[in-house]
Amino acid sequence: MAVTVPGSGHHHSKVLLHPTTLELSEKRIAIIGSNGSGKSTLLRLFNGLILPTSGRVEVAGLNTGSQGRQVRRLVGFVFTDPLAQLILATAADDVELSLRPLIRDRKLRRDEAIRLLAERGLERVADQSVYDLSGGERQMVAFTSVLASGPQILVADEPTTLLDLRNRDRVRELIRGLDQQVVVATHDLDLAADADRVLVVDHGRIVADGQPDEAISEYLKLARA
Amino acid sequence: MNLFGLFLPGDSWLHRLGAGWKYLLLLVLTIPVLIVSLPAPSLVALGVTMLLLASAKIRPTLAWQLPLGFWVVAAMLGGYQLVTAHFDLAIVVTANLITAVYASRLLTLTTPGAVLIDALVAALRPLRRLGVNPEQVGLAIAIMLRSVPVLLDSFGQVRQAAQARGRERNLFALVTPVVVRAVGHAQATGAALAARGLGEI
Repeated sequence: MAVTVPGSGHHHSKVLLHPTTLELSEKRIAIIGSNGSGKSTLLRLFNGLILPTSGRVEVAGLNTGSQGRQVRRLVGFVFTDPLAQLILATAADDVELSLRPLIRDRKLRRDEAIRLLAERGLERVADQSVYDLSGGERQMVAFTSVLASGPQILVADEPTTLLDLRNRDRVRELIRGLDQQVVVATHDLDLAADADRVLVVDHGRIVADGQPDEAISEYLKLARA
Repeated sequence: MNLFGLFLPGDSWLHRLGAGWKYLLLLVLTIPVLIVSLPAPSLVALGVTMLLLASAKIRPTLAWQLPLGFWVVAAMLGGYQLVTAHFDLAIVVTANLITAVYASRLLTLTTPGAVLIDALVAALRPLRRLGVNPEQVGLAIAIMLRSVPVLLDSFGQVRQAAQARGRERNLFALVTPVVVRAVGHAQATGAALAARGLGEI
């Protein structure tokens, strides 16, 4: 697969991701790299938010281009900024939105939304505006909303970037406890160290791929060169 | 602060009233005055809306307070009519706008968001035969309600940034960034919907 943004006028086309072949089967995968290196592009390929300009991306045997709808039902996506992710006005409404295709009965759906929020210690903010929540609470609500739809794979784009130390640890703990396969792009090297496999992306290429210790050390060398 | 307000649990008659009746009430309070377009009916509708909102027994600061951005927009609209010597229209436009917001609050402050969507979806179900997807329309309206405060907030931020550079009188400097942010917000919302497979129900 590869991703190129076509040029227009006197602007040249820009390669976001050079031709890459990858098979990701580990339960916890981290993608690290500097800003603009291509991490987010790679992540967005996994649920068809971006389609490759050449080659193909398959998730559980489904093509993200021709079967994008089915792929997105399998792959949950958590954004860096939860405010861009939370669609409805309150925490409970947003979780309920994810549950709509699964639970038709309004009362059961509401009860399930509150139960899911309570599981993450968020019951007291259920009826609060997402604007009134702290950054950590918003991110936990975003995770709850995405997980409510029951994805088999969770993709998270820098989920700890906007968080303080305590909330960063909460997110790490949450990810550790998930049964799903998790692919996370991050600048948080502690979070990357929790993974089974770490990919290092630089200028749209995978420049290192392996155990966390080795890959993180490669990344540090690259970043400090 | 949310322009349309968020659901506040309570036991007033408005809280107990079905969402469908509240939608109807909203239409009755807002549509005829738009058609008639006369100061007296607009002011009566505004008064009735205020009385109804008071009867919802909601803490006054939560029921009545509106964001500054709204008042700026209302003043601009009313001011424009005054400048162009349409005095009656200045009253009609401003009163109708305030009525629309407070009448919306009658609905949103007393009804949970999910119930609002369910009521819309139920009302639109007969249109399914005409190719309308009620779930998508319900979702679109819910997103629209969520987006209005985002845009007002965006306007407030841009105005402050323009003031900081002494350019608050430059309409182009105010409008352009708001439009750019609105497009950015729409793209982010679209991506969030697609990521959750919700725009594809």
